[in-house]
Amino acid sequence: MSAVDLLNLVIAALLLAGVYAAMSVGMTIVYGVMKIVNLAHAGFLMLGAYFVYELYARFSIDPLVGVVLAFPVFFFIGLAVHWILIRRIPSSDQPTLTSLLLLFGLWLVLQNLGYLIWGNADRAILTPRTLYVLQIGPISFPAVRLIVFGAAVASIGGLELVLHKTWFGGAVRALMQNSDAGRIVGVNVEKTARIAFGVGIAFAGAAGGLLAMLYSFSPDFGGSFLLRAFVIIVLGGLESFAGVAIGALILALAETFSILVLPASYQPAIAFSLLVLALVVLPEGVAGLWNKRHRLA
Amino acid sequence: MAPILSVDRVTKYFAGLAALKEVSFELRQGGIYGLIGPNGAGKTTLLSIVAGALRPTAGSVIFQDRRLSGAKSFRAVRAGIVRTHQIPRPFRALSVLANISVGSRFGLHAQRSASGTRDERRILEWVGLAHVAYIPAATLSVGDQKRLELARALAARPKLLLCDEVCSGLTESETLSVLRLLREIQQAGTTILYVEHNLKAIMSVCDHVIVMNYGRKLAEGSPEAMQNDPAVIEAYIGRTAGT
Amino acid sequence: MKGRLNKGVSSPSKFAAALAPFLLVAILALLPLLEPGSETIRLLFVTFVWVTVSVAWNLLGGFGGQVSFGFAVFYGLGAYAAALSLNRGISPILSFLLAGSVAVLASLLVGLPTFRLKGPYFAIATIGASEAVRVVMTNVSITGGASGYRIMETGTFHQLQHFYTALALAVIAMAISILVQRSKFGLALIAIREDEEAASDLGVNPFRAKLLAHALAAALTGAAGGVYARYAAFIHPQGVFAFSVGVAILLMPIIGGVGTVWGPVIGAVVYGLVHEELIASFPQLHLLLYGSLLILIIFFEPGGVIGLLEKSFRVFAYTRRLSGSHPQR
Repeated sequence: MSAVDLLNLVIAALLLAGVYAAMSVGMTIVYGVMKIVNLAHAGFLMLGAYFVYELYARFSIDPLVGVVLAFPVFFFIGLAVHWILIRRIPSSDQPTLTSLLLLFGLWLVLQNLGYLIWGNADRAILTPRTLYVLQIGPISFPAVRLIVFGAAVASIGGLELVLHKTWFGGAVRALMQNSDAGRIVGVNVEKTARIAFGVGIAFAGAAGGLLAMLYSFSPDFGGSFLLRAFVIIVLGGLESFAGVAIGALILALAETFSILVLPASYQPAIAFSLLVLALVVLPEGVAGLWNKRHRLA
Repeated sequence: MAPILSVDRVTKYFAGLAALKEVSFELRQGGIYGLIGPNGAGKTTLLSIVAGALRPTAGSVIFQDRRLSGAKSFRAVRAGIVRTHQIPRPFRALSVLANISVGSRFGLHAQRSASGTRDERRILEWVGLAHVAYIPAATLSVGDQKRLELARALAARPKLLLCDEVCSGLTESETLSVLRLLREIQQAGTTILYVEHNLKAIMSVCDHVIVMNYGRKLAEGSPEAMQNDPAVIEAYIGRTAGT
Repeated sequence: MKGRLNKGVSSPSKFAAALAPFLLVAILALLPLLEPGSETIRLLFVTFVWVTVSVAWNLLGGFGGQVSFGFAVFYGLGAYAAALSLNRGISPILSFLLAGSVAVLASLLVGLPTFRLKGPYFAIATIGASEAVRVVMTNVSITGGASGYRIMETGTFHQLQHFYTALALAVIAMAISILVQRSKFGLALIAIREDEEAASDLGVNPFRAKLLAHALAAALTGAAGGVYARYAAFIHPQGVFAFSVGVAILLMPIIGGVGTVWGPVIGAVVYGLVHEELIASFPQLHLLLYGSLLILIIFFEPGGVIGLLEKSFRVFAYTRRLSGSHPQR
């Protein structure tokens, strides 16, 4: 393999990592604050894809604008879901039977609502940009991937800003570190959880829209991405945003480079292999490794 | 006589913050030891390390000449160290008797026989829960849950019993009855390490008190000596007297 | 442990309760004497298979509180293991044992790395495992990949032989479930479900108990997959490894009542009888119905059908709760 090929693969992996990170931060924030594994995340990814698709197909709204619109729309959907379902889950420091089964049920409902509304045909968002490739010397950048990467990084940057500049961000960070400590310093746990769930779903919807610009999709679209998001947040130590970025990069590299040795059809199995490997080698995730170094220092 | 437990320069960090710094002490067979200190002094962390639920960052815990590795509390139980929790953690769906069976069937010299043995009933009667033996633990009052916490630990036949604030949240008379229980447990040959916020309770029941502050051992000695130690008064008693 | 704890129960009703399972099995075993149609036999056969996997899921999920979304992995691997061995002339019984063993190995692969850790790792890994195994099996050429695999057995097809095999397996699963519920092992599992740390603080080794329950459940589920494969004579990854199979396996015990001995059986019977009707009438909608049902049960009747019955028969409910086999949320 030539150096150019290698560079192209690395760039492809990096661009992929951006979307992967965007689709995983929503899960991290929900887990970090509420200790709930949002299995319905996949359903909201799928709904986000169809949301952007419908806006484009019906009203010719640019997919990028659609993604931006997805944030507020899915934020309110998240608040509604929290009000109807999530707030009834008894709080716990560990994911419970109740929360897992409930969100799994919600995923089933969303997925099959998708089938009901859109059928099982594959859809794709095709814009004039879709096939445009930017060529810089021997290195090629597919325009869509660049745009999606930019949007993903911008949204994560925005979240970082919110987390470090607002009361909500402070509350989220306090709860992610320790829910008891958060409660003691006067964080309104209920309110923070509600907003965190809204933000998590907002990110799921927007990331779904971004993914829809890259891949064709159907109502069971979210499933394989759900697994990827799991792997990423486990690699990232479950509750760390920096970890998510690193986890996304690791998975993207593994998947991108796997095509050198494995048929592409095996790709979904890579995520699982990485998960098992991560659990054996780094049970506390990359973030755990980081903490350990700190402790020794 | 060799100590039953020796804690040697135990240090524990959480995410870079020191919760315990080089804490050392020894316990002799058969005593009731008090462990006191203001909030955040590291008492519960220390208890969790002795109970094997946490691994110390540095230092060692030696129980009956065996070094405990930590991070697996069931191993400590099988060596003879059993703890209770500050906030009771009953198995809510199980009956009171079944809760006790968990202790008696998995603790030291675990029994093969079924539940409801004479031993279990004796413990139930001893702590005063015999009348609610078949009631789900979830329905117990706080006081009864505290008793169950203690009963369950006793059923595991500890050589060293670690009690975490068994009296907090109890009424005066309940406190007295629990303290009486502790003394009876001691008389039956069990060594007790008793973490307590309630100074009066500690001073009335313990032979020897260890005082902690900011993750370090501040002093240790007889309850009377501790009450008169200027450093202890400064760090702990002075402060609580003000509140 | 149940017997001793239920001292308040009058002995005639206890006797009846102890006798009921034997009576039920005897009736089912003698049923073919009435010469029901082959369609009825088939339906019963399928229901026995469902009972086995539902009871198996409940061992880990109901008693131990460990939610797995990946039992289709065991079912499918069992089906393929049995199919491959049957085609190599290995006897059916041995094939089913092999099916169970392969599933046990798979259960260890998921359980060993995850059961040591606190947190949601196990549930997450089970979703991953089912995705990954389906993908791999769709691509493996020795079993025909996505196009499926046919079992060629010599000799004539005796439907009743399959019927009795499935019945025997279901009875074994039930017996294991009853034994577990009454044993020290079951007590450990329930304690882990209620509070894993507190259980460990009393001497229970949570890792070992969960691993064992998972392996036991996998063995039964794998064997059930094998029994089903031999009957169907043709299996394919989108069938035995399907997402909907995994959903069905966890839905049945939840419908019936998790953490009880009879709940999963009731759930499996209800599911077995209703499922095909539902698929026929609402080919698109049945998973939507299942999802909604799951949410409704979790919210309104976490005890499932058994819980509902208990509420209707207060006295019965009282003795039940004492046995401590009812999950609390």
